[in-house]
Amino acid sequence: MEWADFLQSFANGLLIAGLYAAVTLGLTLVLGVMGIVNFAHGEMVMLGAYNTFWVFTLLGVDPLLSIALSGLLLFFIGLFIYRFTIRPILNDPPLNQLLLTLGISIFLQNLAMILWKTDSRSVLTAYSGMSLSLGEINVGLTRLLTFLIAVGLTLLLLLFLYKARPGKAMRAVSENNTASWLIGINVQKTYLLAFGVACALAGAAGALVSTVMYTFPMVGFKLSLKAFCILVLGGLGNIPGALFGSLILGLTESFVGTYVPEGSGWAEGISFILIMIILIIKPTGLVGTRRE
Amino acid sequence: MKRSFSWKKALPLILLLGFVLAYPRLADAYFLHLAITFFLAMILASSWDILARTGQVSVGQAGLFGIGAYTAAILFKWTHLSPVLGMAAGALTAVIAAALLGYLTLRLRGIYFSITTIAFAEALAVIWLMTPSFTGGAMGLSTPPLFGGDRELAYYLILALLIMTVAAVWLIQSTRLNYAFTAIRENEEVANVMGIDPTRYKVLAFMVSAFFTGFAGGFYSHYNTYIIPYEVFGLGISISCLVMPIFGGLYTITGPILGTVLVKVIEEYLRVTVSYGHQIAYGLILVLVVLFMPEGVMGVWRNRILPLFKHS
Repeated sequence: MEWADFLQSFANGLLIAGLYAAVTLGLTLVLGVMGIVNFAHGEMVMLGAYNTFWVFTLLGVDPLLSIALSGLLLFFIGLFIYRFTIRPILNDPPLNQLLLTLGISIFLQNLAMILWKTDSRSVLTAYSGMSLSLGEINVGLTRLLTFLIAVGLTLLLLLFLYKARPGKAMRAVSENNTASWLIGINVQKTYLLAFGVACALAGAAGALVSTVMYTFPMVGFKLSLKAFCILVLGGLGNIPGALFGSLILGLTESFVGTYVPEGSGWAEGISFILIMIILIIKPTGLVGTRRE
Repeated sequence: MKRSFSWKKALPLILLLGFVLAYPRLADAYFLHLAITFFLAMILASSWDILARTGQVSVGQAGLFGIGAYTAAILFKWTHLSPVLGMAAGALTAVIAAALLGYLTLRLRGIYFSITTIAFAEALAVIWLMTPSFTGGAMGLSTPPLFGGDRELAYYLILALLIMTVAAVWLIQSTRLNYAFTAIRENEEVANVMGIDPTRYKVLAFMVSAFFTGFAGGFYSHYNTYIIPYEVFGLGISISCLVMPIFGGLYTITGPILGTVLVKVIEEYLRVTVSYGHQIAYGLILVLVVLFMPEGVMGVWRNRILPLFKHS
């Protein structure tokens, strides 16, 4: 019985880690390529989740189909945000970039409250309640699907970064933007595309979020904080680190939820405690080196 | 930095002081309450600016504010300590928290400090929600009205604290601390080479900032008579602490004060017109200031408006 509990919380942690990884990918991409911590990344996820909720509620579009829809919508929103707010301050001190993206984040949170009130909304499809039994553990179908799609998104991003020309350009720029410029890479265009792709990933992650969590105006902020925790755990700006960090956070939250009294309440605070512990004990993150 | 005393400079200050001292006689209850909330916000804004002078952006002032608020409320609940002493205890607790947190995280690059401060405030909110027997949990804690509900006395108390805050900022600005803080903000490595220990000064600035923020928190818990974790540890307070000085203009005495008045007026207007999300103005202000007026309203005044009158 106890072994089954352990397996069950391991499975739950693993599945939620997939979702966290999907949320963190875009943040990692922007940080790696442009060196900017985008505080508004969570709000892109929030917009993706609301988009999914509305097309599902008003038009009946399946949330799994609107992954592409949310991704596309957020891609264009990302291009717009980059062109009119990020580009003018690329060479400013990091603190200005922090304040600007924080401003965008606060703006979008409150815009969502004004437009859609603070109600928690959920997407309930015909298959929402279904679950699969694998031996002694039960796995919700939507959770399993979101996990698989999150893994798929990660693989797609890696494929893009390592095989496609624009993706290779992004990796080059993240290594050294001056040298990239010298060999003829259009750095500005690479930044624009990286920001757009990051927002598209956030939009797709938002579609996943809407199926397994409640959608409300602050959901993006909550996920941003978890994503910061994952960045800190994995060392900033590298994708394997982000995946590793997601796994640690997902499993820790799940085990705390199972084994600590009133654990589900405490689990909400795990990410904040982890951020503080890691930054205090090992500021370079648990794996790899930190980007400067 | 010697300053010679001149009547031309002192007269407006004396008039201003006379006005704020006489204000409770002139204002009705609503405007008295409004002045108190404005002063409280000015204290938060000015004390955030003290830390910002070393180049550090705290996004978790609500953590310190909430510690001050809860220390005062819990002490009152247990021992019926005099509220003003409770506020002072809240301020000291916030200073201790800032010293610990600052010592551990102000060594790191700015962005990590900012992220840690958010995590700090949010972690406190979770801890408070999960330990209701000690903290009152989500239901919050209540205290009896301050000075038996006498708002005039509350006004003078918060005014005294505001004057102390401004005096502290003035002291920092007119002593060697100003050079140390500015050097650290402009270039930490160079400051280090010049013999300034950046971490020490940053922690010092954070502690001074925490003292006034914590005191203001204690005042808030007694004045408001009711506090809940979601509010006093909330993102809203942390954001307002930084938007007001940034809008007014950083690293000045008047900037944060002026910024508070402008932001509060906008906020009061929006609070009446939209039921949710009146902090949308905060986000918009941050974006516009960073993009178009990096020195805030004070910068626009100095660089754009004053020259118009000087040429003629």
